[in-house]
Amino acid sequence: MESIVKKFQSKFRKVREEINRWDELQSCLISQFRNASHIVDRFQLLQNTNNHGVLNCVSGMRDALLDKQIESLSNILVSMRKTLEEFHCIALSLDKIHRDSRQLVNGGSSHLNRKQLQQQVGMKPSLIYCLDSLMFIHEIYNSEYLLKSSVISALSEIALKSSASDLGALQQLLVDQPNIQTEEVQYVFDMIFAEELS
Amino acid sequence: METLESAPSTPSRTTDSKHQTPSPLPPSVLRLWRPHAQRNLRNQWSQLASCKNRWFSASSAGRSHATALVNSHLSQRYMPDMKLGVVSDMPGIRKRACLKLFKRQELQRSKLLVCYKDMVGIVSDMINISRSLKCFSKGSTSSPLLQFSYNSADQSDGGDGGDGGGIPVFTFYSITSHEKFAEELVQMFSLELCLKRLLVLEFMSIGYDTSEVKQLHWSTHLYDDEFKDLRDCNLYCEVTHGPVPPRFRDGKSDIASLRFDNQPNPEVLQVYLTTWLADANIDTLKVNEIFTVVGEEMHVSII
Repeated sequence: MESIVKKFQSKFRKVREEINRWDELQSCLISQFRNASHIVDRFQLLQNTNNHGVLNCVSGMRDALLDKQIESLSNILVSMRKTLEEFHCIALSLDKIHRDSRQLVNGGSSHLNRKQLQQQVGMKPSLIYCLDSLMFIHEIYNSEYLLKSSVISALSEIALKSSASDLGALQQLLVDQPNIQTEEVQYVFDMIFAEELS
Repeated sequence: METLESAPSTPSRTTDSKHQTPSPLPPSVLRLWRPHAQRNLRNQWSQLASCKNRWFSASSAGRSHATALVNSHLSQRYMPDMKLGVVSDMPGIRKRACLKLFKRQELQRSKLLVCYKDMVGIVSDMINISRSLKCFSKGSTSSPLLQFSYNSADQSDGGDGGDGGGIPVFTFYSITSHEKFAEELVQMFSLELCLKRLLVLEFMSIGYDTSEVKQLHWSTHLYDDEFKDLRDCNLYCEVTHGPVPPRFRDGKSDIASLRFDNQPNPEVLQVYLTTWLADANIDTLKVNEIFTVVGEEMHVSII
């Protein structure tokens, strides 16, 4: 029992690494999104010849600028999709950690019964709590990945048609990460590592 | 892709051309010529790469100065209507703030000018490098001591074109092909320099009262000896006695009616800043392609 709990704790350490990586990617994604919406904001401005001032004396300049902006925007979209793919990897990895852990108690030589799963020794968490928490964490991060994925497809669809306010709403959705309840995740970690904390 | 086609891309084609115009240099000289030419090309291309990097850092520094300049200018312009809250009772606060913003603009203008000057210097360096790709043999070909020079002015009785008779220096490309690649780079950066000049002039004129300063023109010096430097960059037109007008690639421009606005709309200012950022005349993909192709040819990585 003791050793299984230890194994679970190391799984949770891995989970924590994945979550830290997620947070890094999150700030990367937000800055990519900001850059994209700056370009979209400027796009309207650039289309109007009246805004080009002295540049109007250079023929072809306006179209060249618009082309360059579209080029940068599509570059940003490509890198956003790459970032998204990394989010996906994290979701997959969390899923694997959860499945491996299930294997730990159900498969192979050790087949633990319900009572053993619920047993709690001292400050150590029960195995069932560990399993449920791993599933919970995987689920919220996976839903968040799906949300991000649809936000970014929406961005690619509407990029040059939408107004700045639409993009603002999308950005807020990316920033908020509504599926991820940070406090609850923190609470889970506090429970799993209660011994070390005290 | 145009340059790739024009370059002798297969060794067989090169041997063909050798039959048509046999190299003026005897094989023994060519054997010695090649390592020198290779070393020279490696050096010059790595310098070109560093010019490119210097350009982009100067350009990005210029953009931040221009952005700061525009922001100070707009703050100054909006100062009379700005709600100053608790400090609004302080005597002369608006006037002092305006003065400070004005001084800041002067500082940012001079910093922007320094960046522009750097960029002129970089283009002139690039042109010099692109002219130093050849490798001439020096002295008599019969002399046991062969010397090589990368400067056509030093060329003595060797009588060679500095290109080893058009043979590939490494695997595929002759000196002429290398020169074409370099020329293409120079062309892009020169065009962009003219465009940046137009923007610098505009940034120099904003914020001044028309009475305070003489109206800027395309033919106004931005700094002492600017035209001398532009001449070095082939960007001074002796016919019109002024800098070559800005244009986009093969497009035209009409600077006869050019008038710099000292109070442009914020929208216009934003378009200027975006234009600065966009480097419209520099085809980044093409630039990277040239450096990659040449780097592979020379078996060195030049980035």
